[in-house]
Amino acid sequence: MRTIIFREIREYIQSLQFVVLLLFSVVLFSANGIVFARKFQAENAAYSAAAAQFAPNTQYLFLTRQPSPLLFLAEGGDLDRPASYDMKAKGYISASAPRPRDYKLPDIPKLDWSFIVKTVFSLYVVLLGYAAVSGEREQGTLRLVLSNPVGRVRFLIGKYLAILAAAFIPLAVGCVISLGILGVSLPQILTWGLASRVLALLALSAAYLSLFAFLSLLVSSVMRRSSLALLCLLTAWVLFAVLIPDTSGILAEKFAKVQSDYDAAKSIGPMIEKEVWAKIGALQGRIDKGELKTEEAVKAEADKAFEDGQEKVRFFEKGYEDALAARASLARSLARVSPVALFQYAAEDLAGSGVDREEAFREDLRAYSREFDAYVLKKMGKLVGQSNWSFSTWVMLNGKEIEIRSPQAEAYRGGMSDFPRFVERAPRLADGVKGAAGDIAGLLLWNIVLAMLAFAAFLKADVR
Amino acid sequence: MIGVIYKREILDHLKSAKFLIGFCLTLAIAVAATVINVQDYGRRLQDYRAAQRDLPANKFDIQIFRPPEVLSVLVQGKDRTLGNKASVNYMNIPDRLTGYMSERSTPRPKSLSGFGSVDFAFLVRVVLSLLVIFLAYDAVAEEKQSGTLKLALANALPRSSLLIGKAAAGLTVVLGSLLAAAAVAVLIMMVHPAVDLSGADAARILSLVAASALYLTVFYMLSLLVSAAVKRPATALMVLLQLWIFLVVVYPNLGVSIAENFYKLPTDREMAEKKVAAFAPYGDELKKVQAAYFGGDRSQPTGMRYFELQSLRSRLWNDVDRELSLRLSGQLERARWISILSPAALFNRVVERYARTDIEEYDRFLASVERYWKTKYMDFQVLFYKDLPAYRKAATPPFEHPAEGTSEAWAATAPQIVVLALLALIFFAAASTAFLRKDVR
Repeated sequence: MRTIIFREIREYIQSLQFVVLLLFSVVLFSANGIVFARKFQAENAAYSAAAAQFAPNTQYLFLTRQPSPLLFLAEGGDLDRPASYDMKAKGYISASAPRPRDYKLPDIPKLDWSFIVKTVFSLYVVLLGYAAVSGEREQGTLRLVLSNPVGRVRFLIGKYLAILAAAFIPLAVGCVISLGILGVSLPQILTWGLASRVLALLALSAAYLSLFAFLSLLVSSVMRRSSLALLCLLTAWVLFAVLIPDTSGILAEKFAKVQSDYDAAKSIGPMIEKEVWAKIGALQGRIDKGELKTEEAVKAEADKAFEDGQEKVRFFEKGYEDALAARASLARSLARVSPVALFQYAAEDLAGSGVDREEAFREDLRAYSREFDAYVLKKMGKLVGQSNWSFSTWVMLNGKEIEIRSPQAEAYRGGMSDFPRFVERAPRLADGVKGAAGDIAGLLLWNIVLAMLAFAAFLKADVR
Repeated sequence: MIGVIYKREILDHLKSAKFLIGFCLTLAIAVAATVINVQDYGRRLQDYRAAQRDLPANKFDIQIFRPPEVLSVLVQGKDRTLGNKASVNYMNIPDRLTGYMSERSTPRPKSLSGFGSVDFAFLVRVVLSLLVIFLAYDAVAEEKQSGTLKLALANALPRSSLLIGKAAAGLTVVLGSLLAAAAVAVLIMMVHPAVDLSGADAARILSLVAASALYLTVFYMLSLLVSAAVKRPATALMVLLQLWIFLVVVYPNLGVSIAENFYKLPTDREMAEKKVAAFAPYGDELKKVQAAYFGGDRSQPTGMRYFELQSLRSRLWNDVDRELSLRLSGQLERARWISILSPAALFNRVVERYARTDIEEYDRFLASVERYWKTKYMDFQVLFYKDLPAYRKAATPPFEHPAEGTSEAWAATAPQIVVLALLALIFFAAASTAFLRKDVR
């Protein structure tokens, strides 16, 4: 058994695939370390600057998201999400600057560990394993090997372990390089927490690459010619790594009945018209009828109409955003048909990035928004919901022209040493593991099924 | 003699299992991707038309919508992601498009599931180029291994004829598959009620297919070269796949990645400071005029000056925005220079241009918006202060975005086409040399 493994490993290490993989691994993981170290430094500098400038204010707040040092493991769309938010009373939270800023560049996958493993390593496992059985059969060596007292099961296990080992050597080298670069430029991130996440991700990678090894062995046992086996494997790889995940987004758009961007935009105009402008327009009539007698009453009514209207719009927008999130989640569910997506989402969970992280951050923001509201209410005695649109108009009251304007939140003049601070919950590994459990189970299931099929195919294979 | 070889080779290819698998996969992807994308295009076009019809507009705040590009069905490019609306008023010249929901929601989430999209360009770039490798890797190496190369050349057959015959046959099969896939995709498009292809679109589709053919030729010649240079077919296949992974997956992405991380862009803060500095000389005057205006001074000169100052501010800010936009174009240019030798990057750039889904088209649209603002829109707004009755009577001036001529697109893509053609030629010349000098025993 050991002889087989060592013989195979030696053979793989001498192969072209292995050398190139090692080369790619060194290049890509170095790039990974350099790129993410720079990104984190830049983001962290911006974050610290913003945090230093934070000033208590009862009108509006400018909040910056704490950059995660773990993005080099799995970026999960994090860098394309807004880095800062404006907050105003009554739960108004909006992204300050659209991202990505360098929108002219082509959209390319971020060079995180999960991408390198997901794409490059899975491809090379296929390239290492496609000829495992069919190649030996073509050369006639399969017969010779099996004429020795070596069981077929042992032979296949030997091959399997050798493929995995040949893929794991470059992976280990790459990871060490990446961690080395990150450790030199950002020594503060090297913690035990990071170590456990790295180990978890490596274990996940093992489970992921193992399924491609089984797939290669399966196809290699079934197909008579190696080149055909390789073609089938590459087809499967394109299907799993590109076609299924890439069409899931657009399919989800078709199946999830969400209003289009345009339809949503269209419903807001009439909503504001009906809830705000109609009511404000009716003020003059109500004054003439004698319903509103004082200037205060008129202004209070205008404020109320404006704020109620905004509340409705905000409620509508929230519903729309929730529907979009549900659609995105449907897209992810559809993509889970492919093991590549299972790996990607599990890696994001383990790295504490991705949509779960985003959701947790938004929860924190909402919780803080409630604290902020309570504080403003305590200091100012009232909450004024501010929006990014405003109005000013005139009405006649008792022969006098009075101006009505959109309500404005006011600044508190006194001391604000008790102003609540925004604190983000740090992502916990335990939550990540819990979130990833389903996807990991899916990967294991793929492994079991493919392993059974591979062994069944090889045991029944004609080795001549 | 070439004719005989040509026929034999084509028959060999057509009978082979790898061609069958590859061809079926190609057609399946062409059908699935086009059906999905054309429906998506239909939805976006419907939204665009409805937006033009329904969304409230007034004379002061004008909404300009960008129609979805019909050829995005074949080459998605940036078409779905960069927004479709520009709000024009005298206080703002838009520097980016937004979604219909304006700033309230980001344009369109870059991708819903963390992945990209599949289209005809992907089919050619990835699937067909792989198929080319599989069809061509054993052109010479296999015959050498099985000993038939010796026999074939023992006839009165010059080596060059054999190679040309093989290359012609292989290319015919590859380009035939390409044409079949393109025909299927275009047919599906034409059947869909939302799609209305013009003559210019037809010319662009043809250019797109021609560029695809050139791209596949590069890979074919590369495969031929490796096949002639290497002893065993299995080795040839492995070498080619490594090259393919490098040229299609690693190299183009590395170029973008380097440009993304090592190209200095002004920060948001610097941009904001520049904007403040640009308008600083007029800041006090604006404050004074504003105070007067809101203090109740609605006289014509005050109103006019208030308007002039605000529009001047938008012009100055727009200059700052343009600077950033140029920097971003420079960044893109950097990425392109680094990837200049990647056939995949060149191909992408060319077909996105033909499909009008590249960033240049987006910039052209924004330039049209800016031109509209500076000419028709401002002339119209000035009327409000100079001749109110005329302003009330006049209709909002229409926005125009002239379509890019096909010849301009050809001229713009000429350098990339030349590089692709050169690559194909160099590979073919090298393959011929390698084959002529090959030990065929």
